[in-house]
Amino acid sequence: MNRLQMSAADLARAVKNREVSAAENVQASIARIEEVEGRVHALLTPLFDRALEKAAQIDQKVGKGEDPGPLAGVPVIVKDNLCMRGLKTTCGSRMLENWRPPYDASTVRFMEEAGAVILGKANMDEFAMGSSTENSAFFPTLNPWDLDRVPGGSSGGSAASVACGYAPLALGSDTGGSIRQPAAFCGVYGLKPTYGLISRYGLVAFASSLDQVGPFSRSVEDLALVLNVLAKPDPADATSSRRERPDFMTFLGKENLKGLRVGVVSEFEAYPVQPEIKEAMERVQNILREAGARFSCVNLPTTIEAGLPCYYIIAPAEASSNLARYDGVRYGLSVEARNLGDLYMKTRGRGFGAEVKRRILTGTYVLSSGYYDAYYLVALKARTKISREFKEAFQDVDMLLMPTTPTLPFRQGENVEDPIQMYLGDVFTLPVNLASLPGLSLNAGYSKTGLPVGIQLVGPQWGEGTLLAAAEAVERVLGKPACAFGGV
Amino acid sequence: MRQPGSPVIGLEIHVQVATESKLFCACSTDYIGAVPNTHVCPVCLGQPGSLPVINGRVVEYAVRTALALGARVGKSTRFHRKNYFYPDLPKAYQISQYDRPLAEGGALPIGEGENRKEIPITRLHLEEDAGKLVHSAADGRLGHSEYSLVDYNRGGVPLMEIVSEPEISTPAEAREYVATLRQLVRYLGVSDGDMEKGSLRVDANVSLTGADGKLGTKVEIKNMNSLRALERALDYEIARQADLIRKGESVRQETRHWDDGNGLTCGTRGKEEAHDYRYFPEPDLPALVLPDGFVEKQRDIMPEMPWILKERFVTDWGLSLQDAAVLTELPGLSRYVEDCVREGADPQRAANWIRTEVLRVLNEKRIGIEDFGVPAENLSPLLVKIDRGELSTTLAKTVFDRMVAEGLTALEALEKIGAPSGRLTGERLRNVIERVLEKESSAVEEIKSGKDPKGKKRGFLCGQIMREARGQADPEEVAKTLSRFLGC
Repeated sequence: MNRLQMSAADLARAVKNREVSAAENVQASIARIEEVEGRVHALLTPLFDRALEKAAQIDQKVGKGEDPGPLAGVPVIVKDNLCMRGLKTTCGSRMLENWRPPYDASTVRFMEEAGAVILGKANMDEFAMGSSTENSAFFPTLNPWDLDRVPGGSSGGSAASVACGYAPLALGSDTGGSIRQPAAFCGVYGLKPTYGLISRYGLVAFASSLDQVGPFSRSVEDLALVLNVLAKPDPADATSSRRERPDFMTFLGKENLKGLRVGVVSEFEAYPVQPEIKEAMERVQNILREAGARFSCVNLPTTIEAGLPCYYIIAPAEASSNLARYDGVRYGLSVEARNLGDLYMKTRGRGFGAEVKRRILTGTYVLSSGYYDAYYLVALKARTKISREFKEAFQDVDMLLMPTTPTLPFRQGENVEDPIQMYLGDVFTLPVNLASLPGLSLNAGYSKTGLPVGIQLVGPQWGEGTLLAAAEAVERVLGKPACAFGGV
Repeated sequence: MRQPGSPVIGLEIHVQVATESKLFCACSTDYIGAVPNTHVCPVCLGQPGSLPVINGRVVEYAVRTALALGARVGKSTRFHRKNYFYPDLPKAYQISQYDRPLAEGGALPIGEGENRKEIPITRLHLEEDAGKLVHSAADGRLGHSEYSLVDYNRGGVPLMEIVSEPEISTPAEAREYVATLRQLVRYLGVSDGDMEKGSLRVDANVSLTGADGKLGTKVEIKNMNSLRALERALDYEIARQADLIRKGESVRQETRHWDDGNGLTCGTRGKEEAHDYRYFPEPDLPALVLPDGFVEKQRDIMPEMPWILKERFVTDWGLSLQDAAVLTELPGLSRYVEDCVREGADPQRAANWIRTEVLRVLNEKRIGIEDFGVPAENLSPLLVKIDRGELSTTLAKTVFDRMVAEGLTALEALEKIGAPSGRLTGERLRNVIERVLEKESSAVEEIKSGKDPKGKKRGFLCGQIMREARGQADPEEVAKTLSRFLGC
């Protein structure tokens, strides 16, 4: 099999069994990146030299007969809002263009301890705000399946990297759909875990109560494999759950899905989506039914009605506070100024892009005295109600099936002038963040024009295992997602 | 109803909690005299991606303080973000408590006897300290500075904010309130309470009761760095407001700074900025839920409150109020006197000795009782000897000075001075008695012939024997041995 099509699990096994070296894996990935990156622009900072060094260390370990870890010699791409000590971490922003964090994100550390080799930092919408990676301050990433179209966002660079075969795994972050939507647009798997499953320490915050780190892959087994590495309680993150994590591999290899109760959301069924997405929904439903799952309808009236506005109050509110620290005093961009107020205005004026400014303004507004009760407080109440609504739904079903997005990947520039249209694209993903639930986007085939179509599985809190089992059942029928540009 | 014109004072006191590490990270709190920006880490510098984790020890200390004040400790409290821009605030928000403080209610007793008064407490909450700005101008003020430097060593140091109800009526009461609170935190060992060093900072809200008996416009006074400064500032401010009212002018609601050198309060020049701190719940920290038994455990290890200790010294030991006040001012001193009494010293004797001799030495050496070289178990035998008449006070002082100078026990010091070492007992005591009886044969005869019904002569003989023994004999043994010699 072509090495670029190989899963992380297979690569790690091969490295451990000395069938290939970590260095060879990394070199193959570098060659692939050099071949394709000029067209796709998925990476902000390649880390090739460092990756080759790390790979050599892994090979030494293998040579000495030491355990190189479950991700031994597996190339990985990391979204550029995860801190890596001494290496540029830009968050896709001029503000942090030359910032080098003094520490590693916990998830980066977990990956490297498991033997993964980080090949580069992936492009993203500035501070993870956006759904197309067009808000990157540096350059847009293009959809590997159609270079006129967007790869989704905000983790567009990570999704495109995995779709192009730069690496079998990438890390992203998801605040309102930023893993699942680009996964759908790029035709790969993307998992947004239950809030608190994976440490946020070292993930540059957008909206702290919604942000989660999660993986992209081209196989379900890889999702389980990398969850086992990432899903650790972390004392450095007070919101990291202390509950014991299962071995996620144990959810795989189920013969069928007998007894699995799957819900479809009536309100979402009625929501206008493109026909290819409706067809994909039916395709996945049939596969799951075939595998033994039973279907029923559930209602989420508040979610469909209030989810979007609720999200676009809470997320900007938290963002306005989280991004206030970029003031030109300690790190990042600092613009020459006459006095303190001038320093703040010039630095923030020049350092942030339009979408980030829009959200900071919105967030500041909804938290201001006189508006707090009318906006933020109401949104918090709506959020509680949405969580309760999901909780009730999950008394009758084990999992929900819904589209990841209402549309196929849109064209570059298509929504740039219309932020509301852009926001509406998050309608199916952001309620999952509001309710702190796990969501998995899988590739359910391609449109006639060759664009990937994503479908989303949503579970109750800590229900990742169910999602993995169902996704595997679909994978058995549809096969693993293909690499764009046909591999090598 | 309050008298028109009478002052109404409420105090907000920030107490630095004396834990070894900061409120939300492991950095040392020992910043005084440290090289700037050396006690910092990604968390207290607010580096992107870093997250706060609450220091449990701080919660313990704060709960102890709350219990000492008789406040209700909240079972589930939470933190909020207080958002504002300033260079000494690295995240551009301070993590503080807002709607659910750690404790509410309670009171602090001040004054003695008829003047005794309980000042009710509104709340006690936790928050993080900010860094420190160092302005380049010669006068250390921002206005004339070419540049300013920031030292973040203090950033993130834990603070307890203790807010009183506006029920303090005079500057003298305010002073006593602060002095008592300072004594309390020192007793509890939760803070060094040093106003000069800034470990205890007082902001005062002052208004004068209007002609209608209602509260007048309140003015906040800051920058009072000693008890004396507090009293002077309040005196000044009350006179200033009274003067305004007398002239028919209105008092402006504002924050004024106490200028200790010139002895006046001055308003912050220019327009008062209306702050909108945009408080909202800190999403990086889950609710602070105290586990079962937490509060009870803190209650169990609380020392006796100084005001209760003082009362006990008066009623149980018969000390004067003044003696009791001096001895309970500092926790170390009261422990010392208690230890002396436990080791057998008479309370009044111990009180006198400590107030005169021990405090004299401490003052001369400028040290605290903790660093005093004569432990209570060494001092106590000396005091017992004085009471037994075995040592004259003059000799005892010589012995004491020797003990202090050379770190000796009482017996060692006595020996060095040349007083007979050890007690006169047995053969040596009998020799002394024989000598005395020979010299005082007339008294012996009178006793033997029954002419000493009241035991006066016998007492005289005992005294002579003790004198001969230079106080180094046990009076009981002397009496017994003497009886044997006399045969009655």
